[in-house]
Amino acid sequence: MNITAIVARDPAQATQRRGHRVEVDQVWKSYTPGTHVVRDVSFSLAPGEFLTLLGPSGSGKTSTLMMVAGFEDPDRGAIRVDGRDVAGLPPERRNFGVVFQGYALFPHMSVLDNVAFPLRMKRIGAATRRRAALEMLEKVGLADFAARRPRALSGGQQQRVALARALVFEPDALLLDEPLGALDRQLREALQIEIKQIQRRVGVSILFVTHDQDEAMMMSDRIAVMDQGQIAQLGTPDQVYLHPETPFVASFLGETNLLRGVCVAPEEGYATVRFAGAHGWARISRGRARPNDGDAVRVSLRPERIALLGANDHADCAVTGVLTDRVFLGRHTRLVVQALGQSVVVSTAALLAGSLDVGASVRLGWSREDAQILHET
Amino acid sequence: MARRDGIARGALIASCTPVLAFLLLPSLVIVPMALTKGQMLQFPPIWISTHAFTDYLGDPDWFASTVLSFKIAALAVAIGGLTGAAAALALHGKRFPGKGLVVGAIMAPIVVPLVVLALGGYLVFAWLHMVGGWIAIGLLHGTLVTPYVFISVQTSLVAALNPLLVRSARSLGAGRLAVLRHVIWPAILPGVAAGAVLGFAVSFDEVVIALFLQGPQTVTLPVRMFTAIQFELTPKVAASASLFLALSVVVLLTQAAAMRRRSA
Repeated sequence: MNITAIVARDPAQATQRRGHRVEVDQVWKSYTPGTHVVRDVSFSLAPGEFLTLLGPSGSGKTSTLMMVAGFEDPDRGAIRVDGRDVAGLPPERRNFGVVFQGYALFPHMSVLDNVAFPLRMKRIGAATRRRAALEMLEKVGLADFAARRPRALSGGQQQRVALARALVFEPDALLLDEPLGALDRQLREALQIEIKQIQRRVGVSILFVTHDQDEAMMMSDRIAVMDQGQIAQLGTPDQVYLHPETPFVASFLGETNLLRGVCVAPEEGYATVRFAGAHGWARISRGRARPNDGDAVRVSLRPERIALLGANDHADCAVTGVLTDRVFLGRHTRLVVQALGQSVVVSTAALLAGSLDVGASVRLGWSREDAQILHET
Repeated sequence: MARRDGIARGALIASCTPVLAFLLLPSLVIVPMALTKGQMLQFPPIWISTHAFTDYLGDPDWFASTVLSFKIAALAVAIGGLTGAAAALALHGKRFPGKGLVVGAIMAPIVVPLVVLALGGYLVFAWLHMVGGWIAIGLLHGTLVTPYVFISVQTSLVAALNPLLVRSARSLGAGRLAVLRHVIWPAILPGVAAGAVLGFAVSFDEVVIALFLQGPQTVTLPVRMFTAIQFELTPKVAASASLFLALSVVVLLTQAAAMRRRSA
């Protein structure tokens, strides 16, 4: 097989085959009466997009994926591909490529036969499917392993075979259910990059399920953070990280300070928040109900978005506090400061941090863009 | 220490050998008995001749009985294989009230005394005018084979069929029949084979049902042996019994091979 020919044809193919739009519209699912594992979930996977459902176990992310794949039926709501409702179709007639955590390769078939299997199911001739399967194995870098049994491959290789098998029949979208969960950390990171590269090459839409926030951040165009069967927030990785809308999102994605205060004079987009012993501006999420004057609120402030201020430095918000703990972690120093009537964690790379002693008085400052008023659920 | 270990091992061997001999001797005595020169089945045998084997295979009645037993066992395995495998597939992973009863009904032929099964079968087949035909024996043996296939297929389903394989296959475009052919069948094949081999052996040497349902043209090999031992005491009995011994060795070897493949 001519490798250069395949590689050269790739970009053209990618633009030609841009993936399809998958819509999940107000979907509900319950296994036991009274409790819903999926509650009113809606999102739209754009053609060629990488969308991740991120959440802890039991948040409904896998159930949602299984409903898209057709292994579960929603109690209510619609699932559409390019506007066509697929909710009544069995999985074999939905045209999604699904990859599971355990790879699920057929143990009695060679790698090549595994990849050719979906084409065989479509009654494509032996010669054609062999060529297409080899071509896809080439793309995941495993053409040399075509004749082997899956068992003779490493975990990472098996996962790439599973990807090739899920892509070879040009599915409307790729559905990945924690596909890297069983791999060790280094291999996982290598495959994260590889999956992104394969996606760019093939141009397929991907719906990805994971509980690993770093993985979600690294790979996704958009992230839907799920909590107790609902989407708590849907946005780009920087949106959900920098501007979390609920306490759950704020604390599930990395570390944060949840500052208690009282909302004063809310305006469009911002409000003044009165903390114990200080005032500060904070951001209000668009699209969420604005808190009222006098409401108790919590404000999320990421440790790395807080700056150590010198005597003459200015910031949107500045407070003075007492250093109670200092840990040097190499890339940054972690400080715990008693301020605003609570412990505030600060992560800073500033050299100044090294010279501070516990008990010293420090000035902290942050931009109002980084203080986010949370929507209490 | 080493000496005490040696003594302990010696005592172990000394106590085990008679037990093993007791278990094996009745089986092993058959082969030398078949190699006797004499015209009577007697112990100790007069060595050494293979005339018992040639007599056995040359006698048209004995030969017909052997063929019949193979035919019946084949039918029984076909029926039991189908029902046993189908039942295991149908019940796999399902939970419903009364499942225990269904499993009990499938296992019943092993538990119910053979005379009960044989008498019941006799009455039903007499009503159907089928007594004396080999099909009747094969059918009833089929019920006997079913639980063996059921158990071994069930075992291979649990051990070798990853539910994700089925889901994968379906998402890749395989309908129910294609899943059965490409995913489930390869997974249960060793179970079906092991159950079939065991079932074949069970049917081949079953004597109670075969006795109840026999006709002038349908005397199975074990039934003929049983009659021969009462009336003629010919060494052909020992020769045919050697055939059974060979068959059971085959059964044991296939099972051992299946176990090794599973653990590999």
